[in-house]
Amino acid sequence: MKHLLPVSLRVNGEPYDLLIPPWRTLLEVLRENLSLTGAKRSCQEGQCGTCTVLIDRKPINSCLYLAVEAQDKEILTIEGLARSAEVLHPLQRAFAERGAIQCGFCTPGLILAAKAFLEENPNPSEDEIRRAVVGHLCRCTGYFQIIEAILAAAREMAGKGAQVGH
Amino acid sequence: MGYLRRLPRFEYLAPRSVVAVCDALAEYPGEARLLAGGTDLILQMRRREVAPRYIIGLKGLSELAFIRPQENGGVTIGAMTTVRTIESSPLIRERYGLLCRTAAEMGSPEIRQSATIGGNLAGALPCADFPPALITLGAQVKLKSQQGERLLPLEEFFLGPEQTVVGPSDLVTEIQLPAPSPLSDGAYVKFHDRHAMDMTTTGVSAFVTLDQERRRFCDVKIALASSAPTPLRAKNAEAALRGQAFTEKAVEKAAALACQEAQPRSSWRASRDLRLELIKSLTKRAIRQAWEKAKAPPDGGRP
Repeated sequence: MKHLLPVSLRVNGEPYDLLIPPWRTLLEVLRENLSLTGAKRSCQEGQCGTCTVLIDRKPINSCLYLAVEAQDKEILTIEGLARSAEVLHPLQRAFAERGAIQCGFCTPGLILAAKAFLEENPNPSEDEIRRAVVGHLCRCTGYFQIIEAILAAAREMAGKGAQVGH
Repeated sequence: MGYLRRLPRFEYLAPRSVVAVCDALAEYPGEARLLAGGTDLILQMRRREVAPRYIIGLKGLSELAFIRPQENGGVTIGAMTTVRTIESSPLIRERYGLLCRTAAEMGSPEIRQSATIGGNLAGALPCADFPPALITLGAQVKLKSQQGERLLPLEEFFLGPEQTVVGPSDLVTEIQLPAPSPLSDGAYVKFHDRHAMDMTTTGVSAFVTLDQERRRFCDVKIALASSAPTPLRAKNAEAALRGQAFTEKAVEKAAALACQEAQPRSSWRASRDLRLELIKSLTKRAIRQAWEKAKAPPDGGRP
């Protein structure tokens, strides 16, 4: 049995050449090989969304994804979202300012899922936002603030692009 | 459920073509499992329900990720097409609104991004949502192995929970849908706890074709999820509606017949009695919604 496979990942714009066993999930490799602990391990079955990262700008549960299958793909984790420590992404700022972060465990997954969603739907309704984050659990149950934060970030981001009438 | 551990060890193969997948399956008969989206198989492996020696990864098989219109007005969908792609395909939305809406209600966006139509069928979980919708649409499924290809109605595909006609050396390659008839549409209605990672407690798909005057059911197909060991056609319920006018009485009768045909089990998720109640209510709702949709001109809007 071949135990180690060469895998090239691009994570937050940085290339990594790794030797990893095929049974390692992307979540395990991000956390344990790359020390990127923003993606959290929780339910391990795709229910809770804390392990959500973006692959080629789309959200996936990294606990259900083999690292070898992310070969050559563009991976974004929460660590790669802010341009710098001083300049947060509008979603990060909205979450912080609107009390959408309590313990913070669900936050990285929610922000990344929201980012991917807003790229597809820059002017969402509240209902559309609820459906977009249905795969995420917040056990502090701060859902209202989370929805409000995503709405606020959407308005800010849409406002920057063009005049938005609604 | 079992404690969710790290994955068991396996050797990973990533063939680059359908032919190479068939060769790999033939080389390791019974020892290899196909990994499509992984949203079911990874869990089963973590629970040690399965521990295959070889995993054949299919994510790189772009050959099987397609939605292709056919000359006869039908559509062929490659087995590695994701739920997300089906949900957002204009062609599927235009010709098979039922399938588009079913896809949009599956799991979470994260799950839909990975899960595939081939995996949803080949996994053969009784609670899977695509099988009832596709059966009522008259889908056929194509299998390929080193020996050749075969095409069969999806209805004949399922043998039991997690059991299908797919042999150890077969690969599901595509799903074929017939051209939709005018004045037809369908609805899939399900009961489940929560959207994300949902397991459908009970689901009912109804697909109806109306007569020219839009007064009677010209044809009806009804299929149930989580109501028997396999996805189940409720043929007596269908027969009771065929040729009938749309009346509450006719719908009630069809729902009662569907309950008689179903063989739901009791599980921790729901008792047999609750499931029978659900089958009755959901069958009525599915027929009503299908009727309304078939009667209305195609909206062309969002599902």
